[in-house]
Amino acid sequence: MSLLNVNNLTLQFDTDEGRITAVDDVSFELNAGEVLGLVGESGSGKSVTAKSLMKLNPDNAVYGEGSQITLTLDNENIDVLSLKSGNELQVIRGGAVSMIFQEPMASFAPAISIGDQMVEQLTLHKGISKREAAEISIEMLDRVGISDAAKRFNQYAVELSGGMRQRAMIAMALSTRPSLLIADEPTTALDVTIQAQVIDLMKDLIKEFGMGIIFITHDLGVIAQTADRVAVMYLGKLVEQGTVRDVIKNPSHPYTRGLLNALPKLDNLDTPLMPIPGDIPSPLERPEGCVFHTRCSVAEPRCQQSVPSYSSFGDNHKAACFVTAEQQGNV
Amino acid sequence: MARFIQFTLMRAVMSLFTLLTVSLIVFSLMELVPGNCAERYLAFKNTQGSQITIDDIKAEERRLGLDQPFLQRWTSWVGNVFFKGEFGDSCILRLDINQLLSDKFWISLGICLAALAVAYLIAIPVGIYSATTKSAVANNSLRFVSYLGLALPNFLLALIIMLISTVLFGDSLTGLFSAEYRDAPWSLDKFLDFLSRAWLPIFILGWSATAFALQTVRALMLDEVGKLYVTAASARGISGSKLLWRYPARHAMGPVINSLGFDLNRIFNELPVVALILTLTEAGALLIESLARSNDQQLAGAIIFLLTASIVLVNFVTDILLALMDPRIRKGMIGA
Repeated sequence: MSLLNVNNLTLQFDTDEGRITAVDDVSFELNAGEVLGLVGESGSGKSVTAKSLMKLNPDNAVYGEGSQITLTLDNENIDVLSLKSGNELQVIRGGAVSMIFQEPMASFAPAISIGDQMVEQLTLHKGISKREAAEISIEMLDRVGISDAAKRFNQYAVELSGGMRQRAMIAMALSTRPSLLIADEPTTALDVTIQAQVIDLMKDLIKEFGMGIIFITHDLGVIAQTADRVAVMYLGKLVEQGTVRDVIKNPSHPYTRGLLNALPKLDNLDTPLMPIPGDIPSPLERPEGCVFHTRCSVAEPRCQQSVPSYSSFGDNHKAACFVTAEQQGNV
Repeated sequence: MARFIQFTLMRAVMSLFTLLTVSLIVFSLMELVPGNCAERYLAFKNTQGSQITIDDIKAEERRLGLDQPFLQRWTSWVGNVFFKGEFGDSCILRLDINQLLSDKFWISLGICLAALAVAYLIAIPVGIYSATTKSAVANNSLRFVSYLGLALPNFLLALIIMLISTVLFGDSLTGLFSAEYRDAPWSLDKFLDFLSRAWLPIFILGWSATAFALQTVRALMLDEVGKLYVTAASARGISGSKLLWRYPARHAMGPVINSLGFDLNRIFNELPVVALILTLTEAGALLIESLARSNDQQLAGAIIFLLTASIVLVNFVTDILLALMDPRIRKGMIGA
């Protein structure tokens, strides 16, 4: 039994301009100890998808009828979307599921010390004394490579550097020993050198703690370093998923190919960058048919009318595209 | 802790220094008014039928010490105010200002502080509620009442309440004391009598202050609840009132506390209009009287100084409160 099952997740937002579809019929699963990379441009719905795992989306979010998110803990199934009150939600908020945000500065409350915030979370979920919680917190800060952890424990977010804050954020997220960690662009706001350090740290911690991780990023390079499997999202649709190796070696959706071509190649700097033409459409103007056809270089007339279903391109490697499916003979 | 005491002491010294500067400005302003105390008093006498000569004025100036240089007069004025709490004699009335003001200033300050307290005690919880509630009815009615508070002039509100009270109860609710307590020394009964009347000016002054503060609190709260650290805290499982008070509310309070000193000044400025209608004897009206009508610079200076001193004191208290609440301010001011 996998740790997390997301089935037919559809999520819309009620806004003044009408109902906007942010996530459209997305299904994936995650095993314990596995890292799933969730890739896509801004506006692709990856953060919204991740937030729905903790029911963190704003109140105007409407989950589609068949949507189901199941978290399996010690052979007990938790129907995430049916959780309602603050107390019920605690299991997916900081209990079995933790989240690391993109902006480490903004995710700490500025007027509460880092230690206080860590202790608050630990006493809430673990039912331990403040003193024990403080010990665990300092140990965790030390574990993520923060020097002088006991001193940092009493400091505030403003007093730490960017990389230090993200380490503290990771320490806080892992201190409750969650089964699932959601990392929403955890390295995007950091310098490249710090990025590499934080990624190394996360890889170590994945091995040590053995939880499942959903790693959200727009950077396929980061995914190649960290993830086991990758799911590519575009405009709320999951367009391709498979093992990192399969997807990078044999990208089967034109969007995935576009993302890979847009990466600079260090071995041949003369190769021109090949950005995907155009911008991601506004969710208010979702294209009919395949959502990607407005920017797709191989689009055909049928792509404007009907939505392609998934075709298999190998073990657990599937993509939703009419054209590549025919080219590779997988109809 | 030692750091904090050091910080408090430093702030106190700075407040004293501010007061000293204020006293210099106030004293200079008193000097800038054309004519001095001697001329003014004798001119006043003139209107009563006395014949005044230049020699009389010179003699009076010497008697009052007005022939001494500016700095020396300022020093002795400040010295008397700071060490003895004495403001000297009024120019026109020739009475001790302390005696003239007697309870008036403290009553005025008390009414203003009470209005300020009422305003914030209402505005903070209601503002927080209105920023976080999803009920459109609650939100719109709060907005309506608060716009009413902002738009309805104080004197009109006072008149409306007086009218209603006169028609219904036959009591116009004017004055601060009932007849039997007016000249009596302070006692518990007199205080209760005072309260039974003072609630009206407090309510009227607090009304618009509340509306104003409510808008501030609401806007600050709306700003805070949308911040990532609130989402991050709820992602850690913190929920309900614990989340609300410890995270956005606490962080929104800094600017709210900061606006206290400013609001006290605003309320004091509104007091004379309300006092005029409710026929209260208070310091604001006396200030206007001494500034605009009788040109009594000594009296006006004393009241202005007392008022600014109160604001400096309020700012001192809010600084300490801010430092207690926000480590960024604390560390910025004390040094990490």
